[in-house]
Amino acid sequence: MANKRDKMRIFLRIVWVMCCLSCLSMVAQTKYTLSGRVMDEGKAPLPMATIAVEHTTFGTYSDEQGHYQLTLKEGTYTVVVSTVGYESVKMRVTLHGNKRKDFQLKESSVSLNVVEVLGKSKSQQIREGAFAVNALDVKPLINSVGNLNEMVNRTTGIRVREEGGVGSDFDLSINGMSGNSVRYFIDGVPLSTKGTGVSLANLPVNLIERIEIYKGVVPASLGDDALGGAINIITNQSKRNYLDVSYGIGSFHTHRADLNAQFVEPKSGLIVKPTIGVNYSKNDYLMKGVEVRNADKTGFITTDCRRFHDDYLSLLGQLEVGVTDKPWADAFFVSGSYSLVNKELQTGSVQTWVYGMAERNSHAASISARYQKQDLFVERLSLQALLSQTWDHSETIDTTYRKYYWDGTYINGSFSEIRGRGRSWRHYERPLTMSRVNLTYALNDKHAFSLNYLLNRTGNKQSDEVDETYVPTNDALVKHVIGLSYTQSFLSDRLNNVFFLKDYVNHLKVEQTELSSITGSATVKPSDTHLYWGGGLGSRFTWKPWSSWKLSYEHSVRLPLSQELLGNGATIYPNVALQPERSDNFNLGLYGTIRMAPGHVLYYEGSGFLRLVDDYIQATVSQQEGMMQYENVDAVHIKGVEGEVRYDWSDKLHLMVNASYQDARDQRRYKQDGKPSVTYHNRTPNKPWSFINAEASYTFKNMWLPSDRLRLSYEYQWVHWFYLTWEAYGSSKTKARVPTQNLSNVGLLYSWKDGRYNFSLQCTNLFDKMAYDNYMLQKPGRAFFAKFRLFIQ
Amino acid sequence: MKVLKLMMSAFMASCMAVAFTACSDDDPVVTPPVTPEEPEQPVTPEEPEPTPTATYHFDLFVCAVKHGGMSQNKNGTFVRSVSALTSDQPMVDFTGKGLDITQDYTMESIVKGKYYYQVPQSPADRFVKFQIVKDADGDEIAQKIAEVPFLGNTYFARKYTHAWLDDATLVVVGTDSDHKIVYWSKLNDGGESLSIAAEGTLDIPMPEGASALSTSGILTYRQTDGKLFYFYNGKIAAGLTESATSTFHVAVIDPVTMQVQEIHDVDPALAEECAASAYGELMQNTVMYDESGNLYMACLKTINGDETGVLLRMDADKTTFDTAYNGFPNPEGKLLTIQYLANGKALAYSRDNSKGVKIDSVSHFYTIIDLATGERKRVSCSGVDLPYCGGRFSQRSVVVGDKAYIGCTEGEGETDNPRIYIYDIPTGEVTMGLQLSKGFCFDILRVIED
Repeated sequence: MANKRDKMRIFLRIVWVMCCLSCLSMVAQTKYTLSGRVMDEGKAPLPMATIAVEHTTFGTYSDEQGHYQLTLKEGTYTVVVSTVGYESVKMRVTLHGNKRKDFQLKESSVSLNVVEVLGKSKSQQIREGAFAVNALDVKPLINSVGNLNEMVNRTTGIRVREEGGVGSDFDLSINGMSGNSVRYFIDGVPLSTKGTGVSLANLPVNLIERIEIYKGVVPASLGDDALGGAINIITNQSKRNYLDVSYGIGSFHTHRADLNAQFVEPKSGLIVKPTIGVNYSKNDYLMKGVEVRNADKTGFITTDCRRFHDDYLSLLGQLEVGVTDKPWADAFFVSGSYSLVNKELQTGSVQTWVYGMAERNSHAASISARYQKQDLFVERLSLQALLSQTWDHSETIDTTYRKYYWDGTYINGSFSEIRGRGRSWRHYERPLTMSRVNLTYALNDKHAFSLNYLLNRTGNKQSDEVDETYVPTNDALVKHVIGLSYTQSFLSDRLNNVFFLKDYVNHLKVEQTELSSITGSATVKPSDTHLYWGGGLGSRFTWKPWSSWKLSYEHSVRLPLSQELLGNGATIYPNVALQPERSDNFNLGLYGTIRMAPGHVLYYEGSGFLRLVDDYIQATVSQQEGMMQYENVDAVHIKGVEGEVRYDWSDKLHLMVNASYQDARDQRRYKQDGKPSVTYHNRTPNKPWSFINAEASYTFKNMWLPSDRLRLSYEYQWVHWFYLTWEAYGSSKTKARVPTQNLSNVGLLYSWKDGRYNFSLQCTNLFDKMAYDNYMLQKPGRAFFAKFRLFIQ
Repeated sequence: MKVLKLMMSAFMASCMAVAFTACSDDDPVVTPPVTPEEPEQPVTPEEPEPTPTATYHFDLFVCAVKHGGMSQNKNGTFVRSVSALTSDQPMVDFTGKGLDITQDYTMESIVKGKYYYQVPQSPADRFVKFQIVKDADGDEIAQKIAEVPFLGNTYFARKYTHAWLDDATLVVVGTDSDHKIVYWSKLNDGGESLSIAAEGTLDIPMPEGASALSTSGILTYRQTDGKLFYFYNGKIAAGLTESATSTFHVAVIDPVTMQVQEIHDVDPALAEECAASAYGELMQNTVMYDESGNLYMACLKTINGDETGVLLRMDADKTTFDTAYNGFPNPEGKLLTIQYLANGKALAYSRDNSKGVKIDSVSHFYTIIDLATGERKRVSCSGVDLPYCGGRFSQRSVVVGDKAYIGCTEGEGETDNPRIYIYDIPTGEVTMGLQLSKGFCFDILRVIED
């Protein structure tokens, strides 16, 4: 009780501090609005044009109608307006009051298909400085993309491994680093604040404007402990009213509906942003070549069966209310969200463990407040603050003593389905308190300092509804991450450097003692605190207009996630003795755009990377009972190369191919007992290490209906086979391996009335190939998905 | 020839704990046990007797990183087959070699003749009979011979106990996940087929004060009088948290009807628990019979907080343990495996608690026990004791013909590889045998009919 009271007190104090800061900032200088429209030579609106104030961190995008709005203090600025396929315009603007300024851009002789990222404040400065930030523009793909995983999976160096159909668990890796080494953010806020059930797989696509992928070196401004990289999902930041609704239907009884809208009350400037996303699928795809009992139940036959217990339902509802461009706040929003994920479990970690009754459900409610202010107290000092509280509850229902077969038949058994033990209905309450403060002070246009603090407290209260022998526990994981960074810019912004330092404090309180021989609970102190340091630097140098180099390094620490430490209650055992991952990450990259001829643009990028990882956290399939567990592997070195080439012709033809090669090898010569390790220099098992993505599309314009577009696309993915276990373990003939994948997808998108109405049709796994991302977990065969989207602005 | 085969089977049985004794049906044994004046020897046939290694081969099981057994190994189990274990054989290398059974089978298994029988690791919804054979390239592969789905009773991989009633009838016993009901199934091995002939539950009441029974218990068939014995413990709590043993019991079962005929409580002063009560004799041999049909069982008792070994004996005509007998006096620690050799001698694998009690502690060693006196002597080769080994849940010794093959784990020295030692039963001499490469944890040695 006292603990609750303390938490409430802390929460109220932080709210109070934020309110004080808001009031203080009201005395800041008066600001004026620079607004207008960006158009082409024919006065047609140019959406998504970048309007940036030179040598500052200020900037914005034009909306669908080409409108933009910037809030600036009195003064004279150089405004640079640019967009893909048009020549940039640079203009000096003097503000003594609100001003309207329209820009007309001339069509360029070349057309680019590179998405430039205009980060807000610090993000932009860092992107232009040193970090390798690729931004995926989601907007053009909203009409056809089913979920964000599909999109991210096509990018260089990224693999998303799914365990099954819609809503299945997935593992995302960047440059060979485990999926959990990657942190997810939404508008710079950890995605976990929406609840543990919310992920790239079920986040409403309509909500998203772009995705930023940071590889290896993660900016301190995100203030978290990512080891392999970070994915920052940027939502639509438009300041105009709009309504975006879509509905999709697909194979295996799949339905998706999204609603995303924004209403701006002109007088008060109050902004209301409701969002709803619903996903449902029965996932009853055909499992090929599975065993069922024969007619007289004396033996087995091999046949094809539909999955029968894999229903998935997810719901995310969110309401965000706030204001922007007020004297006391550049942005202040309060939001509440509710998420729900109900998932039937069809298999264990291999498909021969067939379940017919087990379920995992979760729901979460959260409230948060975010505040943003430039020139706080003094000029050039900016603040971003966030406070969030999430109440997350999940349950794993494993109360049936049945042994299921793939045809849905079963025998009454004497063990529960998931755990193979007694009945359990386990409840996990994982309240999450998150607080983040980001203070940036720019000495001048060339030098800036930033201080970031993140508090993340995750509780893990477990109880069981039916297992009388289970002793309820209440564990907690608290981490504090403090980051300090210094950014500099020289040679007319051709050289950018950033230096940063991070401090990680991890506090774990463990009460659970269940299965101590497996979970390691007997080997850790019930309450323990550890301190870890990290830091790094980055540099970017543009030596020719068509070529830039990037170099970055980070000594990073990744504290284990609660799921890794404490399990998921279903298929993952806890390992409370798990140590943080540590890594020295190096990146060296070259990229550029070559404009070969008017309308013909070739974009290239190539990079090499090195990750020297200690205590690498790796998921292993337990030999026993179809379970998984995360373990530390003492030393792994990952080196790799990757590259991408894109070719665009006049916004019609688009060709892209990227390839990634990642060589992760065990560097441990000796085992813990001091004896030589046979896996020394072996390739890390159960990780895809070579893969290729290619896509081609052609867009026809103005065919039948006004302002219509027809886009036909083809995508291809190839993944080299890989071993489930170390190379040194057993003969290659009998070793388990995840086979090579060759997958083709085709799509059709038709939009008319300038994107107001959109219809798409997609076919994935066109040739109905057997596909596995994980060992013995068959993915869906050929599937169709149709989607209609209405976008009113 | 028939007699020869029977004798071979008897030797096999003693090393694989299939409760298949030699063919003596001597008079009831009294304390001290009656030891035949002459060791029983195979009847010399007219044709020359093939050497045991000509008829059998050996399967060597290793685990990666840590020793396995009892769900301890998450890193994989690998098997290689060799025709002989003598020192003239090449070193057995496991790096990138051997059958990887990890995903399909458990290292804990029933073994009889040429075959392995088990509830597989995945899918654990059946009984399966398989062989480990070599393919054309000489690589070990698993070859499934027969399988049968569970009928009504279900068993979890490695959590059951078994006994062979005859060459074709296998009884499997296990408890439910709450450890309150004891299930049994009788399997008929039809050579190329496997079927469930009957199944049911044993009428085993929960012992007073206990809330759970053993996970598997130990089942053994005494051929001399055709009795089936089920040894089990009563526990205060089962499974989910560490359990505390409360009571130790013996149920006598009619193997035909599977009716429980008698239940006897074992005096806690004798022993508190039978060894390997969670996984039967699927891996370690904890029950043996001498030539007279006397049953010996590895048990444990807690002394000053330490688990220590006890070797109990049940005379051939009795259904209770001899309260005056302990074949493992003054124990250094836990008694893990026992195997009958001959002439009232047995091979024991036990732990010296003072050298470590962890699974991988290098604290386990081999001794020869004189069952009449309880005297023990470390097995030594050329005057040097065999090294201490890691692996609490290991069974690296087999008895074939007049030899016992004893496996030791790798030592600290660079040339100190895992090695087989060959104990000559009639003379007691020990010679060095085959070596295994370093890098894996040597856990099981099994003898398999060719």
